[in-house]
Amino acid sequence: MQTLALLAVDKEKLRPFFSRVPELFEQHHHDSGQKPEMYEELLYKVHRPYTNDMLDMIDDWMGLERRNISGEQEIMLRLFLLAIRYPDTLLFDSLDDILVNDVRRLSAYLHFSSHTYTIWDNDTRKGLAKLGFEIPDTDKADPFIYGAYVGTIELIKDLAPFTCFLEHDVPRQRLFQAALAAYGRE
Amino acid sequence: MSTTEIVEKYHPNFEGWIQEFQEWQTRIGFDPAWLGDYRFEIRFDWDSAGDEIEFGDFSGMPKWKRRMQIPQQNIIDAILTMVSVQGDTEFASVEQQNHLLATAPTEYDRKSALRIMCEEQRHGWQMAYLLCTYFGEQGMREAAKLLERNAQDGTRLLGSFNAPIDHWLDFFCFTHFIDRDGKFQLKMLSTSSFQPLAASMGPMLKEESFHLGTGANGLRRIVKAGVIPLDFLQKYINKWVSTGLDLFGTDESTSAEWAYVYGVKGRYDERESEMDADREHLNEASRGLYFDELKAEMVRISKGRKEGEPELFIPSDKFNRGIGMYAGKRYTVKGDPFEGSDGEWDEYLAGILPSDADEKLLMDEYMAPGVEWIQYREWRE
Repeated sequence: MQTLALLAVDKEKLRPFFSRVPELFEQHHHDSGQKPEMYEELLYKVHRPYTNDMLDMIDDWMGLERRNISGEQEIMLRLFLLAIRYPDTLLFDSLDDILVNDVRRLSAYLHFSSHTYTIWDNDTRKGLAKLGFEIPDTDKADPFIYGAYVGTIELIKDLAPFTCFLEHDVPRQRLFQAALAAYGRE
Repeated sequence: MSTTEIVEKYHPNFEGWIQEFQEWQTRIGFDPAWLGDYRFEIRFDWDSAGDEIEFGDFSGMPKWKRRMQIPQQNIIDAILTMVSVQGDTEFASVEQQNHLLATAPTEYDRKSALRIMCEEQRHGWQMAYLLCTYFGEQGMREAAKLLERNAQDGTRLLGSFNAPIDHWLDFFCFTHFIDRDGKFQLKMLSTSSFQPLAASMGPMLKEESFHLGTGANGLRRIVKAGVIPLDFLQKYINKWVSTGLDLFGTDESTSAEWAYVYGVKGRYDERESEMDADREHLNEASRGLYFDELKAEMVRISKGRKEGEPELFIPSDKFNRGIGMYAGKRYTVKGDPFEGSDGEWDEYLAGILPSDADEKLLMDEYMAPGVEWIQYREWRE
């Protein structure tokens, strides 16, 4: 699916989006609801060895309830975050169901621990659809669906002209994810 | 849209130059093993370069793809000079900075600096490739000189690129203020009438944004750590801003005007601006935009300061200038004319620019081993 999507890029659909990336990013990332300062703090405060407190801070920023998982699952999760290497998603299969049940939460942990994986967001998915990339909706961290989501944003990053690249203190994956979310909402 | 072409087969002239480059790396003490799996590549973004000359007296004509299409020798000379100066700065910055790798405050900073040095070398490659591939014997001579001049010997073409960068505070100032000037120069060349030059700029600018981000974030992390007092940090800002402003060249520059007439180098906002260019004040216009950007960035950097610390600011563009209408004149950091004797002027400068004693205090106290003078950030593989 990913390969087909990459071959079927409609460059004309991308142009209007690329011409507005800085403005769209500003709109989404700097919206007070996005708590941009807290986001930027997390880029520094989440680091190895990962602790429950760090994951709690991510939950808080995402506006999610705290994880309800056993101590063993907590260890499994932290080991997973240490072991996974971008852009692999097949390692999701090694996790318990309870951990893969929420793609938003898991993708946020991955984002802040790697600075590469992109946070799963429905508006971003809609933004991708407007650019011609249909990613199925899901709540679960499906390695193939999430892999397609991450891979497509990576492709968009590669195709983007230099005018899209701000010198902002956020990873480039966040730059494009945020811009796509604002685009998807329009 | 950016569809990057990566050149796979090089002209023999450039193959020969690569051997000289490897000798240069050894000479300056840059261990190629530090590159890891990074490979130097020649990259072009032809799409963003455009096909038609966008400004100047040849506006509307097809962009020049080869030297033989360039209508006048003086245009060829102007392009050669610009490519040579750009290439010169790329290698110079690596000569200035590579000794810092041994004293990086964190692994994140060491890897970031290394990435910057790799990419600056790639940019130097790109410029050498243009010289060797498109400009025959003359280009090859200029490409060889890129590796012969040396920042440590003070023979690089621009003053800032001969200045020593002794410590990490200077490194962050350099990447914030001087690399930002570099971004302006690259963007001004991104609309060039010489298409291979314009097409080189897109990939370089993408990489440059990381360099600027490293500088701005570095300064912001220093402010957040709160170890180096901000009135002390302000002295380094005072030092670097005037250097950055000077890099834009003289006021009422005729060479900038000719470069515009030839379509070789545009304004920073050439594609965005709806106004006609004031051809006699091109450097001043770009410098003004750069100055505005510095001020806006400094507000962001200063935001993380601890309570009671003074706000950092960008000194007046009249202060401490070496080039332009304020060169050699005495103005305060606020832009007021300085009224006082020579002795009072020296005393004033000693209070607002880093002195030898400040350098010692910085190294022995604020940035001494074990002191967490910069906010920690983890390196992610």
